[in-house]
Amino acid sequence: MSFRLVRIDDRLIHGQVVAGWLRALGAKRIVIVDDATARDEFLREVLTLAAPHGVPVEVFGLADGATRCLELASGPEPVIVLARSPQTIVGLRQAGVPIEVVDLGGMGAGPGRRRLHKTISVSPEELESLRELETMGTRVEIQIVADDRPIPFRSLDSNL
Amino acid sequence: MSRHAGGLERSHMYRKSAAVGAALALAMLLAAAMPATVLGASSASGAPASAHTITVSVWQAALIAIGYYLANSPWLFGLAFFTLYRPLVAGFLVGLILGDPAQGTLIGAAINVPYLGFISAGGNLPADASLAGWIGTTVALASGLDPTKAVAIAFGLGLLGTIIFYGRMAVDSVFAHWADARAERADIAGVAFMNLVPGQAFLFVVSFVPVFWLALNGPTAVQDALNALPVWTVNGLVIAGGILPAIGIALNMRFIFRGSAIPYFFIGYILMTATHNSLSLVVVAALGLALAYLHLSFVRRDAPLPAETAAQASVAAQSAEAASAPAGTAPVARPSLGIRLTRGDLLKSWALWTFFAHANYNYERLQGTGFAHAMTPIIRRLYTTEDEIRAALKRHLVFFNTEPNFGNVVHGTVIAMEEQRANGAAIDDDAINSVKSGLMGPMAGIGDTLSQSTITPILLALGIGIAGGKASGTAVPTLAGATGNPLGAIIYVVLVSVVIVAIGYTAWMQGYSRGRAFVTDILRSGAIDRVLIGAGVMGNMVLGALAASFVVVNLAPTVTIAGAQMNLQAAVLDPLFPGALALGLVIMTWWLLRRRVNPLALLVAYLVISIVAAYPFFGPDHTTSSDPAAQYQVCTSSLLHPYYACGTPPAPSAQP
Repeated sequence: MSFRLVRIDDRLIHGQVVAGWLRALGAKRIVIVDDATARDEFLREVLTLAAPHGVPVEVFGLADGATRCLELASGPEPVIVLARSPQTIVGLRQAGVPIEVVDLGGMGAGPGRRRLHKTISVSPEELESLRELETMGTRVEIQIVADDRPIPFRSLDSNL
Repeated sequence: MSRHAGGLERSHMYRKSAAVGAALALAMLLAAAMPATVLGASSASGAPASAHTITVSVWQAALIAIGYYLANSPWLFGLAFFTLYRPLVAGFLVGLILGDPAQGTLIGAAINVPYLGFISAGGNLPADASLAGWIGTTVALASGLDPTKAVAIAFGLGLLGTIIFYGRMAVDSVFAHWADARAERADIAGVAFMNLVPGQAFLFVVSFVPVFWLALNGPTAVQDALNALPVWTVNGLVIAGGILPAIGIALNMRFIFRGSAIPYFFIGYILMTATHNSLSLVVVAALGLALAYLHLSFVRRDAPLPAETAAQASVAAQSAEAASAPAGTAPVARPSLGIRLTRGDLLKSWALWTFFAHANYNYERLQGTGFAHAMTPIIRRLYTTEDEIRAALKRHLVFFNTEPNFGNVVHGTVIAMEEQRANGAAIDDDAINSVKSGLMGPMAGIGDTLSQSTITPILLALGIGIAGGKASGTAVPTLAGATGNPLGAIIYVVLVSVVIVAIGYTAWMQGYSRGRAFVTDILRSGAIDRVLIGAGVMGNMVLGALAASFVVVNLAPTVTIAGAQMNLQAAVLDPLFPGALALGLVIMTWWLLRRRVNPLALLVAYLVISIVAAYPFFGPDHTTSSDPAAQYQVCTSSLLHPYYACGTPPAPSAQP
């Protein structure tokens, strides 16, 4: 298992990821899987250049991302996988990518979204996807930064 | 420690922090409530009779409480977090209020060291350094405490203080909804009001009241507690004051102690120990700057050559720009625009953001209402109909979070897009939202790395080094006898303010005039990389030097050499490599943090170890007498000793 972290974060790469997780986990590569981001040439370039020197960032849509994740999953290199929505992770799982734990790191609030915990809010569709992930055997946890203790999604879901 | 407490999983970081903080801070107060005789200690047995004590007046307590509020408020042009929030600066100001700025600065500097690697990202705050600084200094100064004793007490307060922060983060979400209601009515001033007034009113109450109370009552309580404790536990606190700084330094090392910059840390450390801490930190920093230049010129070969990558990348970028960029590549002349933003609008918007970005910081939108507030001058200029205004306000009230200085490039870019949209360009909400949501993360990543994990800690280390001027010529690093230098706080404030405002202003204006091209140009040029590498070299030197000054580990056991009883460390270890144990502790702490040991757990462990190690295991009796000879015995029969209290066998002196 070379995925040090599979994280859902609508800001993808930012301070918590760069200054926190990347250092804490000693990850050597970041793979971003998100269809919209993969289509935006400008954002793709910004994301590739925004990570610290020596940490390559790769941006893929879901289909290519699944292929790449399958390659990396068996490799020795410690990798962080970032996505913006739970649906993407469901897609990766369906494509056979082994993911034991998915971390909810940042899901902003908005109309029609319920707050699960601090900065984590979900839409009804996202909630369904998270439940689906749990039934597929992928544990869902909330852990904003590496020094936090992970909170199991199950313990919050019953409150909804 | 509550790491594994809490059955139903709603408990998280802040509960844990608060619980530990409560344990540390309130243990002191509880002990104070017990009669001294219960603990079997005479009142003279506590701190080595302190210099002098100060009674905090109601007015002084009120000023301190206002200072703490200001440290968390938006009124200082966005600089409160970089200045008043830091214990170094808080210590200086509390010193001014209580009439001893030099000692206040020294205490603030000592309290600040464990917070050197302190980072707040995305609404996550590990500890409230400002409460540690403001109340920690007040308590220490008023009760005449040695700075090293203040460190442990202050850290407890810092954890307790997160309750205020997280309470505010939760409550301020409500005001975001009040702002929504004003936006619905196209009420521009109403949105600005909701970003500023309710959140600040709430913050003032929850900041002022507890801090005012603590400033008035804390000193006596802590003083009584220390007097009631047995000698060895108080020694343990002093030992902790020498050990806890290792955590702050190691936390910061996680960011810069890497690759080819590692040797510079040791150079800084050895420079200080070899000169018996007689070098000024300014000298070390200047040397670091020179070495950084050499390092960039001769060592750093693997950095991408900007020219090569930029050449091929710019082709792709130009096509991308042509396809989607609203703001062009060069400073754009916009002759066709009917409605133009003035330079005044831009400046006003920048100032509103810089002041009020975090005025209503909350879990739900983070800086969302701050963004909308900053856009009010732009919306006023560009849009006239109620529908347009309503739509624009709602567009910018959504979730937003970035680093508020370098991240200003997002605002600049968005303002340029709004200007073009108002002039009829086909830019829809989605286009604006995708720039905001796409850029805010990466810009925060770069901004946090620059401002929070590089610039601030290095300048702080410099300021702390200047503030805690050493008594030179001693083999063992010592804060005792050092005279605080307020210049350390003042120089830090000036430097950090200039750098942070310059970054924020440049990013805002360049973002407006050049938009995405500015982002890609600056990223491709490798300029940020070079700044980070150079800062890493200098930072390692300064951090190493600071570790030599502030981390203290002293073995207590004695050995008999040539018939004379001598301290093991002073006689054997220090002549070989002065400060080797402290260096070992720092490196071990760094390694443990890399192994993902929780810093909070480490803190509690170090505190417990310090106090246990002060227990007189090898002593014939656990005396609580105030007789210097007996105190010497307590001190030398433990594992570690506070570096100044043991004295020498023939003529024991309890303090310098």
